[in-house]
Amino acid sequence: MAESSIWVVVPAYNEEKVIGGVLKELVDCNPAFNVVVVDDGSKDGTAAEAARLRQVHLLHHPVNLGQGAALATGFEYALGQGAGIVITFDADGQMNPSDINKMVAKIKEGFDVVLGSRFLNVQPVGMPALRKFLLRLAVIFTRVTGRLKVTDMHNGLRAFRADALRKIVITQNQMAHASEILSEISRNRLKYCEVPVGIRYTDYSKAKGQSIFNSINIMYELLTGAKK
Amino acid sequence: MIIADFSNQLPEQAASGSFLWIKILLIILLLVILRAFMVGRGLLLAKRLFALVLFLVLVALVLFPDVSNYAAHHLGVGRGVDLLFYLSHLFLLLLIVSLWRRMAGLADTVTKLSRRFAIDTARKPQDKNSPADTKPSA
Repeated sequence: MAESSIWVVVPAYNEEKVIGGVLKELVDCNPAFNVVVVDDGSKDGTAAEAARLRQVHLLHHPVNLGQGAALATGFEYALGQGAGIVITFDADGQMNPSDINKMVAKIKEGFDVVLGSRFLNVQPVGMPALRKFLLRLAVIFTRVTGRLKVTDMHNGLRAFRADALRKIVITQNQMAHASEILSEISRNRLKYCEVPVGIRYTDYSKAKGQSIFNSINIMYELLTGAKK
Repeated sequence: MIIADFSNQLPEQAASGSFLWIKILLIILLLVILRAFMVGRGLLLAKRLFALVLFLVLVALVLFPDVSNYAAHHLGVGRGVDLLFYLSHLFLLLLIVSLWRRMAGLADTVTKLSRRFAIDTARKPQDKNSPADTKPSA
């Protein structure tokens, strides 16, 4: 396995409508991508839709555990297969696969972790105002609690060099893993940067994405669960 | 004494009659709970003994409620019932915390099991020229 082999981990829960298209886009974008789909105990046809793409690695959680757990499973698998660079990519069709190349380029420049940002030098197209406000709040929360200075905390598009990823421990099974990854980057003093990424807010993704009320849950998970 | 005031407020006959019935009912319920602790597997002897002691204390309190009043007065609490109320709340809160811990442990186990299963049963790319073995990207 090559040092710089690129593994794209796609956690998926009940995404039968879009998962096929997302995976196809990824595979078409760069045939050298090793795509790992972690079906997180979906109750719909997500697994069957993903299985139609013969080029992907397909993993199943027998029960639904949450996105954090699905990512951790994908990481362990990809690292075990000898991944050089690991990307996290959402299954809901919001992300643009071509952004991955920008992130890989940054890793090759010597960064341990590259984080996608919807706010860095770009105006997110079609983002609802309330969501923009809440994501800003999340950034302030993270800065106040002394973690990383980033412009977008809850972006699912990230790139890790394998040796850096090995140091990152995810204990948050649900959504608080996003903040946990940031605190792990800071704890391990990893060299990180942000790159601007595009995001597509479709009606589907808006309905499917995090309810804004969940920001309260995420804060709760972090404050109570992190010191488990 | 407060308990004396309380019984004075009720007609003598009705009070003694209903008190007797509730005592029998309470003791029967305690016996049922004790039985749940004593039969079946999975409980350590220490826990069974604790349940037995608790049972004896509670039966004594049902039969001689003045004891709890006596203890309460010595501790500066108004009534024996109040003392039991505080103690049972503390006990239940401790129980909830320990159950939470145990559930977190179980969730952790389930996560590890699921992860092991997912990785062990992974379906690899099925094409002959799968990307897994091709050259790295530019």
